[in-house]
Amino acid sequence: MQYGLFIYEDERIYEDEAVYKAILAEHDKFSGELAASGKLRGGSELKSVRTATTVRQKDGQRTVHDGPFAETREQLGGFYLIEAEDLDEALAWARKLPLAAEGSVEVRPLNT
Amino acid sequence: MSAALERAVREAGGRVRAALAARFRDLDLAEEAFAEACLAALSAWSETGPPRDPAAWLYTAASRRALDLIRRARVRAGLRPDPVAPVPTPEEIAAEADQPIPDERLRLIFVCCHPAVAPDARAALTLRLVCGLSTAEIAAAFLTTEPTLAQRLVRAKRKISEAGVPFEVPGRDAWPERMDAVLSTLEVAYAKAYEDAAGVGAHAEFAGEVLRLSALLADLAPEDREVHAFAALVRFAEARRPARLDETGAMLPLDEQDAALWDARLIGEGEALLRRATGGPPGPRALQAAIHAAHCSRLRTGVTPWPDILALYDALLKLRPDPVVRLNRAVALAEAAGPQAGLAEVEALGGAQAERWLPWRAAQAHLLARLGLSDQARAAFDAALALDPAPAERLYLERRRALA
Repeated sequence: MQYGLFIYEDERIYEDEAVYKAILAEHDKFSGELAASGKLRGGSELKSVRTATTVRQKDGQRTVHDGPFAETREQLGGFYLIEAEDLDEALAWARKLPLAAEGSVEVRPLNT
Repeated sequence: MSAALERAVREAGGRVRAALAARFRDLDLAEEAFAEACLAALSAWSETGPPRDPAAWLYTAASRRALDLIRRARVRAGLRPDPVAPVPTPEEIAAEADQPIPDERLRLIFVCCHPAVAPDARAALTLRLVCGLSTAEIAAAFLTTEPTLAQRLVRAKRKISEAGVPFEVPGRDAWPERMDAVLSTLEVAYAKAYEDAAGVGAHAEFAGEVLRLSALLADLAPEDREVHAFAALVRFAEARRPARLDETGAMLPLDEQDAALWDARLIGEGEALLRRATGGPPGPRALQAAIHAAHCSRLRTGVTPWPDILALYDALLKLRPDPVVRLNRAVALAEAAGPQAGLAEVEALGGAQAERWLPWRAAQAHLLARLGLSDQARAAFDAALALDPAPAERLYLERRRALA
Protein backbone atom coordinates (compact mmCIF):
# COMPACT_ATOMS: atom_id res chain seq x y z
CA MET A 1 0.00 0.00 0.00
CA GLN A 2 1.03 3.60 -0.38
CA TYR A 3 0.67 6.07 2.44
CA GLY A 4 1.04 9.82 2.70
CA LEU A 5 2.79 11.16 5.79
CA PHE A 6 1.59 14.74 6.20
CA ILE A 7 3.64 16.95 8.49
CA TYR A 8 1.94 19.57 10.62
CA GLU A 9 4.06 21.98 12.63
CA ASP A 10 3.97 25.59 13.70
CA GLU A 11 6.13 26.93 10.87
CA ARG A 12 7.28 29.94 12.91
CA ILE A 13 9.86 27.76 14.68
CA TYR A 14 11.74 27.56 11.36
CA GLU A 15 12.21 31.34 11.27
CA ASP A 16 15.31 30.48 13.31
CA GLU A 17 17.87 29.63 10.61
CA ALA A 18 19.77 27.20 12.84
CA VAL A 19 16.62 25.22 13.64
CA TYR A 20 15.71 25.12 9.96
CA LYS A 21 19.17 23.92 8.89
CA ALA A 22 19.19 21.24 11.56
CA ILE A 23 15.79 19.86 10.51
CA LEU A 24 16.78 19.85 6.84
CA ALA A 25 19.79 17.69 7.70
CA GLU A 26 17.53 15.33 9.60
CA HIS A 27 15.08 15.14 6.70
CA ASP A 28 17.97 14.32 4.37
CA LYS A 29 18.89 11.45 6.64
CA PHE A 30 15.28 10.28 6.97
CA SER A 31 14.53 10.39 3.24
CA GLY A 32 17.88 8.71 2.58
CA GLU A 33 16.86 5.87 4.85
CA LEU A 34 13.46 5.61 3.12
CA ALA A 35 15.11 5.58 -0.29
CA ALA A 36 17.67 2.98 0.79
CA SER A 37 14.80 0.73 1.93
CA GLY A 38 13.11 1.18 -1.42
CA LYS A 39 10.11 2.75 0.30
CA LEU A 40 10.27 6.35 -0.91
CA ARG A 41 7.71 7.28 -3.58
CA GLY A 42 7.80 11.05 -3.38
CA GLY A 43 7.26 14.06 -1.22
CA SER A 44 8.45 17.57 -0.63
CA GLU A 45 8.75 20.43 1.75
CA LEU A 46 6.12 23.11 1.10
CA LYS A 47 6.79 26.83 1.09
CA SER A 48 5.38 28.88 3.95
CA VAL A 49 1.64 28.92 4.47
CA ARG A 50 1.91 32.66 3.65
CA THR A 51 2.27 31.56 0.03
CA ALA A 52 -0.95 29.53 0.08
CA THR A 53 -3.85 30.48 -2.17
CA THR A 54 -7.16 28.68 -1.99
CA VAL A 55 -9.74 28.15 -4.70
CA ARG A 56 -13.12 27.58 -3.11
CA GLN A 57 -16.33 26.35 -4.68
CA LYS A 58 -19.61 27.52 -3.24
CA ASP A 59 -23.05 27.64 -4.82
CA GLY A 60 -21.53 26.54 -8.11
CA GLN A 61 -19.08 29.49 -8.12
CA ARG A 62 -15.32 29.21 -7.79
CA THR A 63 -13.55 32.03 -6.03
CA VAL A 64 -9.90 32.58 -5.23
CA HIS A 65 -8.78 33.49 -1.70
CA ASP A 66 -5.52 34.43 -0.08
CA GLY A 67 -4.35 31.98 2.56
CA PRO A 68 -4.72 28.28 3.42
CA PHE A 69 -8.09 26.53 3.48
CA ALA A 70 -8.15 26.92 7.27
CA GLU A 71 -6.15 29.01 9.72
CA THR A 72 -4.67 26.66 12.30
CA ARG A 73 -1.92 26.78 14.87
CA GLU A 74 -0.05 24.02 13.03
CA GLN A 75 0.16 24.06 9.26
CA LEU A 76 0.81 21.47 6.61
CA GLY A 77 4.50 22.00 5.92
CA GLY A 78 5.44 19.00 3.81
CA PHE A 79 4.71 15.39 3.03
CA TYR A 80 6.22 12.08 2.14
CA LEU A 81 4.68 9.43 -0.06
CA ILE A 82 5.88 6.02 0.99
CA GLU A 83 5.33 2.37 0.20
CA ALA A 84 4.46 0.29 3.27
CA GLU A 85 3.23 -3.22 3.90
CA ASP A 86 0.51 -2.03 6.27
CA LEU A 87 -0.46 0.74 8.69
CA ASP A 88 2.01 -0.44 11.33
CA GLU A 89 4.94 -0.02 8.96
CA ALA A 90 3.69 3.41 7.90
CA LEU A 91 3.29 4.40 11.57
CA ALA A 92 6.82 3.18 12.31
CA TRP A 93 8.16 5.56 9.65
CA ALA A 94 5.93 8.37 10.96
CA ARG A 95 7.38 7.87 14.44
CA LYS A 96 10.88 8.33 13.07
CA LEU A 97 10.00 11.36 10.96
CA PRO A 98 11.93 14.40 12.20
CA LEU A 99 9.94 17.10 14.00
CA ALA A 100 11.61 20.19 15.44
CA ALA A 101 9.35 20.64 18.46
CA GLU A 102 5.66 19.93 18.92
CA GLY A 103 3.90 18.75 15.82
CA SER A 104 1.91 15.98 14.19
CA VAL A 105 2.29 13.55 11.35
CA GLU A 106 -0.99 12.50 9.78
CA VAL A 107 -0.81 9.07 8.16
CA ARG A 108 -3.27 8.44 5.33
CA PRO A 109 -3.45 5.56 2.87
CA LEU A 110 -3.58 6.57 -0.79
CA ASN A 111 -6.71 5.48 -2.58
CA THR A 112 -5.03 3.65 -5.41
CA MET B 1 -31.34 -22.59 16.53
CA SER B 2 -30.69 -26.23 17.27
CA ALA B 3 -29.05 -26.97 20.61
CA ALA B 4 -25.95 -28.41 18.94
CA LEU B 5 -25.48 -25.34 16.78
CA GLU B 6 -26.10 -23.00 19.69
CA ARG B 7 -23.43 -24.78 21.71
CA ALA B 8 -20.96 -24.78 18.81
CA VAL B 9 -21.46 -21.05 18.24
CA ARG B 10 -21.06 -20.26 21.93
CA GLU B 11 -18.02 -22.44 22.51
CA ALA B 12 -16.18 -22.07 19.23
CA GLY B 13 -17.69 -19.05 17.47
CA GLY B 14 -14.89 -16.71 18.53
CA ARG B 15 -12.19 -19.11 17.40
CA VAL B 16 -13.89 -19.73 14.05
CA ARG B 17 -14.53 -16.04 13.37
CA ALA B 18 -10.95 -15.16 14.31
CA ALA B 19 -9.53 -17.84 12.03
CA LEU B 20 -11.71 -16.56 9.18
CA ALA B 21 -10.70 -12.95 9.79
CA ALA B 22 -7.02 -13.91 9.88
CA ARG B 23 -7.29 -15.99 6.72
CA PHE B 24 -9.23 -13.46 4.64
CA ARG B 25 -7.96 -10.26 6.30
CA ASP B 26 -11.51 -8.92 6.19
CA LEU B 27 -13.70 -8.53 9.28
CA ASP B 28 -17.00 -8.02 7.47
CA LEU B 29 -16.40 -10.95 5.17
CA ALA B 30 -15.57 -13.15 8.18
CA GLU B 31 -18.76 -12.16 9.96
CA GLU B 32 -20.97 -12.59 6.92
CA ALA B 33 -19.49 -15.94 5.95
CA PHE B 34 -19.79 -17.20 9.51
CA ALA B 35 -23.44 -16.15 9.72
CA GLU B 36 -24.21 -17.93 6.47
CA ALA B 37 -22.35 -21.05 7.58
CA CYS B 38 -24.56 -21.10 10.69
CA LEU B 39 -27.64 -20.90 8.47
CA ALA B 40 -26.33 -23.76 6.34
CA ALA B 41 -25.60 -25.78 9.49
CA LEU B 42 -29.16 -25.33 10.66
CA SER B 43 -30.57 -27.31 7.75
CA ALA B 44 -27.61 -29.67 7.19
CA TRP B 45 -27.39 -30.74 10.83
CA SER B 46 -31.12 -31.26 11.18
CA GLU B 47 -30.92 -33.88 8.40
CA THR B 48 -27.74 -35.72 9.33
CA GLY B 49 -27.28 -34.78 12.97
CA PRO B 50 -24.42 -32.55 14.15
CA PRO B 51 -20.94 -33.41 12.78
CA ARG B 52 -18.19 -34.86 14.95
CA ASP B 53 -16.37 -31.52 15.09
CA PRO B 54 -18.97 -28.76 14.74
CA ALA B 55 -16.39 -25.95 14.94
CA ALA B 56 -14.33 -27.38 12.10
CA TRP B 57 -17.50 -27.92 10.06
CA LEU B 58 -18.47 -24.28 10.54
CA TYR B 59 -14.96 -23.10 9.66
CA THR B 60 -14.86 -25.12 6.45
CA ALA B 61 -18.36 -24.12 5.37
CA ALA B 62 -17.67 -20.45 6.16
CA SER B 63 -14.35 -20.51 4.28
CA ARG B 64 -16.15 -21.81 1.20
CA ARG B 65 -18.80 -19.18 1.59
CA ALA B 66 -16.15 -16.46 1.91
CA LEU B 67 -14.38 -17.62 -1.25
CA ASP B 68 -17.74 -17.55 -3.00
CA LEU B 69 -18.43 -14.00 -1.79
CA ILE B 70 -14.97 -12.88 -2.95
CA ARG B 71 -15.59 -14.40 -6.36
CA ARG B 72 -18.93 -12.67 -6.69
CA ALA B 73 -17.40 -9.35 -5.71
CA ARG B 74 -14.80 -9.85 -8.46
CA VAL B 75 -17.55 -10.47 -10.97
CA ARG B 76 -19.41 -7.36 -9.84
CA ALA B 77 -16.20 -5.40 -10.24
CA GLY B 78 -15.94 -6.63 -13.83
CA LEU B 79 -12.97 -8.87 -13.15
CA ARG B 80 -12.73 -12.40 -14.43
CA PRO B 81 -13.74 -14.74 -11.61
CA ASP B 82 -11.53 -17.57 -10.48
CA PRO B 83 -12.75 -20.93 -11.79
CA VAL B 84 -15.82 -22.06 -9.90
CA ALA B 85 -15.16 -24.78 -7.37
CA PRO B 86 -17.73 -27.59 -7.36
CA VAL B 87 -20.28 -27.29 -4.55
CA PRO B 88 -19.16 -29.73 -1.84
CA THR B 89 -21.51 -32.26 -0.36
CA PRO B 90 -22.00 -32.24 3.43
CA GLU B 91 -20.00 -35.49 3.56
CA GLU B 92 -17.07 -33.82 1.85
CA ILE B 93 -17.20 -30.93 4.27
CA ALA B 94 -17.28 -33.33 7.20
CA ALA B 95 -14.34 -35.31 5.81
CA GLU B 96 -12.29 -32.18 5.18
CA ALA B 97 -13.03 -30.79 8.59
CA ASP B 98 -10.63 -33.06 10.40
CA GLN B 99 -7.95 -30.40 10.65
CA PRO B 100 -7.80 -28.30 13.78
CA ILE B 101 -8.72 -24.64 13.35
CA PRO B 102 -5.79 -22.33 14.04
CA ASP B 103 -6.37 -20.16 17.12
CA GLU B 104 -6.11 -16.63 15.77
CA ARG B 105 -8.03 -14.90 18.55
CA LEU B 106 -4.94 -13.18 19.86
CA ARG B 107 -4.23 -11.71 16.44
CA LEU B 108 -7.81 -10.55 16.17
CA ILE B 109 -7.60 -8.88 19.58
CA PHE B 110 -4.57 -6.90 18.51
CA VAL B 111 -6.48 -5.79 15.42
CA CYS B 112 -9.54 -4.73 17.45
CA CYS B 113 -7.38 -2.92 20.03
CA HIS B 114 -5.09 -1.20 17.55
CA PRO B 115 -4.36 2.39 18.65
CA ALA B 116 -5.64 3.52 15.23
CA VAL B 117 -9.12 2.31 16.27
CA ALA B 118 -11.22 4.80 18.26
CA PRO B 119 -10.87 3.95 21.98
CA ASP B 120 -14.63 3.79 22.51
CA ALA B 121 -14.94 1.20 19.74
CA ARG B 122 -12.15 -1.16 20.80
CA ALA B 123 -13.93 -3.02 23.58
CA ALA B 124 -17.16 -3.22 21.60
CA LEU B 125 -15.32 -4.57 18.58
CA THR B 126 -13.45 -7.14 20.67
CA LEU B 127 -16.68 -8.29 22.31
CA ARG B 128 -18.42 -8.51 18.96
CA LEU B 129 -15.71 -10.27 16.97
CA VAL B 130 -13.70 -12.23 19.52
CA CYS B 131 -16.42 -13.05 22.03
CA GLY B 132 -19.33 -13.11 19.57
CA LEU B 133 -21.75 -10.93 21.52
CA SER B 134 -24.60 -9.41 19.55
CA THR B 135 -24.75 -5.65 19.02
CA ALA B 136 -27.90 -5.62 21.18
CA GLU B 137 -26.05 -7.27 24.07
CA ILE B 138 -23.05 -4.96 23.77
CA ALA B 139 -25.26 -1.88 23.50
CA ALA B 140 -27.03 -2.93 26.71
CA ALA B 141 -23.71 -3.50 28.50
CA PHE B 142 -22.40 -0.07 27.49
CA LEU B 143 -25.66 1.75 28.15
CA THR B 144 -26.00 2.98 24.62
CA THR B 145 -28.51 2.38 21.84
CA GLU B 146 -28.09 -0.38 19.32
CA PRO B 147 -27.94 1.94 16.27
CA THR B 148 -25.27 4.09 17.94
CA LEU B 149 -23.19 1.05 18.76
CA ALA B 150 -23.67 -0.51 15.33
CA GLN B 151 -22.53 2.76 13.76
CA ARG B 152 -19.43 2.78 15.96
CA LEU B 153 -18.60 -0.79 14.91
CA VAL B 154 -19.08 0.00 11.22
CA ARG B 155 -16.75 3.01 11.47
CA ALA B 156 -14.11 1.00 13.32
CA LYS B 157 -14.21 -1.87 10.83
CA ARG B 158 -14.01 0.53 7.92
CA LYS B 159 -10.99 2.22 9.47
CA ILE B 160 -9.25 -1.12 9.99
CA SER B 161 -9.82 -2.20 6.43
CA GLU B 162 -9.19 1.11 4.64
CA ALA B 163 -6.19 2.28 6.67
CA GLY B 164 -4.49 -1.10 6.36
CA VAL B 165 -4.35 -2.17 10.02
CA PRO B 166 -2.35 -5.43 9.87
CA PHE B 167 -3.74 -8.76 11.10
CA GLU B 168 -0.62 -9.49 13.08
CA VAL B 169 0.52 -9.75 16.65
CA PRO B 170 2.86 -6.73 16.82
CA GLY B 171 6.60 -7.00 17.23
CA ARG B 172 8.16 -6.60 20.65
CA ASP B 173 9.19 -2.98 20.07
CA ALA B 174 5.54 -1.98 19.74
CA TRP B 175 4.61 -4.06 22.77
CA PRO B 176 4.20 -1.53 25.59
CA GLU B 177 1.78 0.74 23.73
CA ARG B 178 -0.13 -2.07 22.07
CA MET B 179 -0.41 -4.26 25.16
CA ASP B 180 -1.73 -1.40 27.27
CA ALA B 181 -4.52 -0.84 24.73
CA VAL B 182 -5.35 -4.55 24.81
CA LEU B 183 -5.37 -4.70 28.61
CA SER B 184 -7.52 -1.58 28.89
CA THR B 185 -10.00 -3.13 26.47
CA LEU B 186 -10.11 -6.40 28.38
CA GLU B 187 -10.56 -4.42 31.61
CA VAL B 188 -13.65 -2.76 30.16
CA ALA B 189 -14.95 -6.14 28.97
CA TYR B 190 -14.27 -7.76 32.32
CA ALA B 191 -15.85 -4.91 34.28
CA LYS B 192 -19.07 -5.59 32.38
CA ALA B 193 -18.90 -9.28 33.20
CA TYR B 194 -18.10 -8.53 36.84
CA GLU B 195 -21.08 -6.21 37.34
CA ASP B 196 -23.30 -9.16 36.60
CA ALA B 197 -22.71 -10.85 39.96
CA ALA B 198 -25.03 -13.77 39.35
CA GLY B 199 -23.36 -14.47 36.02
CA VAL B 200 -26.66 -14.97 34.23
CA GLY B 201 -26.87 -11.85 32.07
CA ALA B 202 -25.72 -11.09 28.56
CA HIS B 203 -22.08 -10.76 29.60
CA ALA B 204 -21.84 -13.94 31.67
CA GLU B 205 -20.11 -15.70 28.77
CA PHE B 206 -17.22 -13.36 28.48
CA ALA B 207 -15.89 -13.66 32.01
CA GLY B 208 -14.62 -17.06 30.84
CA GLU B 209 -13.27 -15.51 27.64
CA VAL B 210 -11.34 -12.87 29.57
CA LEU B 211 -9.86 -15.58 31.82
CA ARG B 212 -8.73 -17.52 28.78
CA LEU B 213 -7.45 -14.55 26.79
CA SER B 214 -5.52 -13.14 29.73
CA ALA B 215 -3.77 -16.49 30.17
CA LEU B 216 -2.90 -16.47 26.46
CA LEU B 217 -1.45 -12.96 26.75
CA ALA B 218 0.58 -13.96 29.81
CA ASP B 219 2.04 -16.89 27.85
CA LEU B 220 2.82 -14.61 24.96
CA ALA B 221 4.51 -11.92 27.07
CA PRO B 222 6.36 -13.71 29.86
CA GLU B 223 8.29 -10.53 30.72
CA ASP B 224 5.33 -8.17 30.86
CA ARG B 225 4.43 -7.68 34.53
CA GLU B 226 1.21 -5.77 33.89
CA VAL B 227 -0.10 -8.62 31.73
CA HIS B 228 0.53 -11.11 34.52
CA ALA B 229 -1.00 -8.75 37.04
CA PHE B 230 -4.15 -8.41 34.95
CA ALA B 231 -4.44 -12.18 34.48
CA ALA B 232 -4.04 -12.57 38.26
CA LEU B 233 -6.61 -9.89 39.04
CA VAL B 234 -9.26 -11.49 36.87
CA ARG B 235 -8.68 -14.83 38.60
CA PHE B 236 -9.00 -13.37 42.10
CA ALA B 237 -12.21 -11.60 41.12
CA GLU B 238 -13.72 -14.63 39.38
CA ALA B 239 -12.74 -16.90 42.28
CA ARG B 240 -15.17 -15.00 44.49
CA ARG B 241 -18.10 -15.17 42.10
CA PRO B 242 -19.78 -18.17 43.87
CA ALA B 243 -19.92 -16.14 47.11
CA ARG B 244 -21.07 -12.78 45.82
CA LEU B 245 -24.80 -13.31 46.34
CA ASP B 246 -26.61 -14.74 49.34
CA GLU B 247 -29.40 -17.29 49.07
CA THR B 248 -32.00 -14.53 48.54
CA GLY B 249 -30.05 -13.10 45.61
CA ALA B 250 -28.81 -10.07 47.54
CA MET B 251 -25.27 -8.81 47.02
CA LEU B 252 -22.73 -9.61 49.72
CA PRO B 253 -19.79 -7.23 50.14
CA LEU B 254 -16.35 -8.82 49.94
CA ASP B 255 -15.67 -8.94 53.66
CA GLU B 256 -19.01 -10.60 54.42
CA GLN B 257 -18.65 -13.35 51.82
CA ASP B 258 -18.21 -16.94 52.95
CA ALA B 259 -14.59 -17.56 51.94
CA ALA B 260 -15.23 -21.29 51.90
CA LEU B 261 -17.25 -20.74 48.73
CA TRP B 262 -14.33 -19.08 46.92
CA ASP B 263 -12.59 -21.02 44.19
CA ALA B 264 -9.27 -21.99 45.77
CA ARG B 265 -7.89 -23.27 42.47
CA LEU B 266 -8.41 -19.92 40.74
CA ILE B 267 -6.92 -18.09 43.72
CA GLY B 268 -3.86 -20.35 43.50
CA GLU B 269 -3.51 -19.55 39.79
CA GLY B 270 -3.85 -15.85 40.56
CA GLU B 271 -1.15 -16.03 43.23
CA ALA B 272 1.25 -17.79 40.84
CA LEU B 273 0.61 -15.15 38.17
CA LEU B 274 1.01 -12.33 40.67
CA ARG B 275 4.40 -13.67 41.77
CA ARG B 276 5.52 -13.26 38.16
CA ALA B 277 4.20 -9.69 38.18
CA THR B 278 6.49 -8.55 40.99
CA GLY B 279 10.07 -7.30 40.85
CA GLY B 280 10.69 -3.67 40.10
CA PRO B 281 8.28 -0.85 40.86
CA PRO B 282 4.71 -2.17 40.60
CA GLY B 283 2.41 -0.78 37.93
CA PRO B 284 -1.25 0.05 38.60
CA ARG B 285 -2.49 -3.39 37.62
CA ALA B 286 0.06 -5.10 39.87
CA LEU B 287 -1.19 -2.98 42.79
CA GLN B 288 -4.82 -3.76 42.01
CA ALA B 289 -4.03 -7.46 41.79
CA ALA B 290 -2.16 -7.28 45.10
CA ILE B 291 -5.25 -5.69 46.70
CA HIS B 292 -7.38 -8.55 45.39
CA ALA B 293 -4.79 -11.06 46.62
CA ALA B 294 -4.88 -9.50 50.08
CA HIS B 295 -8.67 -9.88 50.21
CA CYS B 296 -8.40 -13.48 49.03
CA SER B 297 -5.77 -14.26 51.67
CA ARG B 298 -8.67 -14.41 54.14
CA LEU B 299 -9.38 -17.87 52.77
CA ARG B 300 -6.21 -19.09 54.51
CA THR B 301 -5.82 -16.72 57.46
CA GLY B 302 -9.43 -16.00 58.37
CA VAL B 303 -8.80 -12.23 58.57
CA THR B 304 -8.67 -9.42 56.01
CA PRO B 305 -5.36 -7.52 56.27
CA TRP B 306 -6.87 -4.00 56.08
CA PRO B 307 -3.66 -2.10 56.95
CA ASP B 308 -1.88 -3.84 54.04
CA ILE B 309 -4.79 -3.07 51.74
CA LEU B 310 -4.74 0.58 52.81
CA ALA B 311 -1.01 0.81 52.06
CA LEU B 312 -1.60 -0.70 48.59
CA TYR B 313 -4.35 1.84 47.92
CA ASP B 314 -1.99 4.64 49.00
CA ALA B 315 0.50 3.43 46.38
CA LEU B 316 -2.21 3.00 43.74
CA LEU B 317 -3.55 6.49 44.39
CA LYS B 318 -0.14 7.92 43.41
CA LEU B 319 -0.38 6.18 40.02
CA ARG B 320 -4.10 6.59 39.46
CA PRO B 321 -5.39 9.60 41.35
CA ASP B 322 -9.01 9.15 40.30
CA PRO B 323 -12.25 9.17 42.33
CA VAL B 324 -12.72 5.40 42.10
CA VAL B 325 -9.37 4.71 43.75
CA ARG B 326 -9.95 7.46 46.33
CA LEU B 327 -13.34 6.03 47.28
CA ASN B 328 -11.99 2.50 47.61
CA ARG B 329 -9.10 3.81 49.68
CA ALA B 330 -11.60 5.61 51.95
CA VAL B 331 -13.45 2.33 52.49
CA ALA B 332 -10.18 0.58 53.38
CA LEU B 333 -9.31 3.46 55.71
CA ALA B 334 -12.64 3.00 57.50
CA GLU B 335 -11.69 -0.62 58.17
CA ALA B 336 -8.11 0.10 59.17
CA ALA B 337 -8.64 3.30 61.17
CA GLY B 338 -12.35 3.41 62.00
CA PRO B 339 -15.54 4.62 60.28
CA GLN B 340 -15.06 8.24 61.36
CA ALA B 341 -11.78 8.56 59.42
CA GLY B 342 -13.32 6.76 56.44
CA LEU B 343 -16.39 8.98 56.40
CA ALA B 344 -14.26 12.13 56.48
CA GLU B 345 -12.50 10.94 53.32
CA VAL B 346 -15.77 10.00 51.65
CA GLU B 347 -17.26 13.41 52.47
CA ALA B 348 -14.14 15.09 51.08
CA LEU B 349 -14.95 13.43 47.75
CA GLY B 350 -18.52 14.79 47.83
CA GLY B 351 -20.07 17.12 45.32
CA ALA B 352 -22.79 17.21 42.70
CA GLN B 353 -21.13 14.50 40.64
CA ALA B 354 -20.46 12.18 43.58
CA GLU B 355 -24.07 12.49 44.68
CA ARG B 356 -25.20 10.89 41.43
CA TRP B 357 -22.58 8.13 41.73
CA LEU B 358 -24.00 5.00 43.34
CA PRO B 359 -20.76 3.62 44.87
CA TRP B 360 -20.16 6.93 46.63
CA ARG B 361 -23.70 7.14 48.03
CA ALA B 362 -23.58 3.52 49.16
CA ALA B 363 -20.23 3.98 50.93
CA GLN B 364 -21.50 7.13 52.64
CA ALA B 365 -24.66 5.37 53.79
CA HIS B 366 -22.77 2.39 55.23
CA LEU B 367 -20.34 4.54 57.18
CA LEU B 368 -23.12 6.74 58.55
CA ALA B 369 -24.93 3.59 59.65
CA ARG B 370 -21.82 2.22 61.32
CA LEU B 371 -21.43 5.45 63.24
CA GLY B 372 -25.02 5.07 64.49
CA LEU B 373 -26.22 8.21 62.66
CA SER B 374 -29.48 6.47 61.74
CA ASP B 375 -31.46 9.36 60.23
CA GLN B 376 -28.61 10.50 58.00
CA ALA B 377 -27.80 6.90 57.07
CA ARG B 378 -31.41 6.19 56.04
CA ALA B 379 -31.49 9.35 53.94
CA ALA B 380 -28.23 8.30 52.23
CA PHE B 381 -29.57 4.77 51.60
CA ASP B 382 -32.69 6.33 50.05
CA ALA B 383 -30.52 8.50 47.83
CA ALA B 384 -28.50 5.42 46.80
CA LEU B 385 -31.66 3.42 46.04
CA ALA B 386 -32.88 6.30 43.87
CA LEU B 387 -29.78 5.83 41.66
CA ASP B 388 -31.21 2.64 40.17
CA PRO B 389 -28.92 -0.08 41.54
CA ALA B 390 -28.94 -3.55 39.99
CA PRO B 391 -31.44 -5.94 41.65
CA ALA B 392 -28.82 -7.71 43.83
CA GLU B 393 -27.45 -4.44 45.16
CA ARG B 394 -30.94 -3.01 45.63
CA LEU B 395 -31.87 -5.93 47.87
CA TYR B 396 -28.69 -5.47 49.86
CA LEU B 397 -29.14 -1.72 50.27
CA GLU B 398 -32.78 -2.13 51.31
CA ARG B 399 -31.78 -4.64 53.96
CA ARG B 400 -29.04 -2.39 55.28
CA ARG B 401 -31.41 0.54 55.35
CA ALA B 402 -33.83 -1.47 57.48
CA LEU B 403 -31.03 -2.16 59.99
CA ALA B 404 -29.81 1.44 60.14
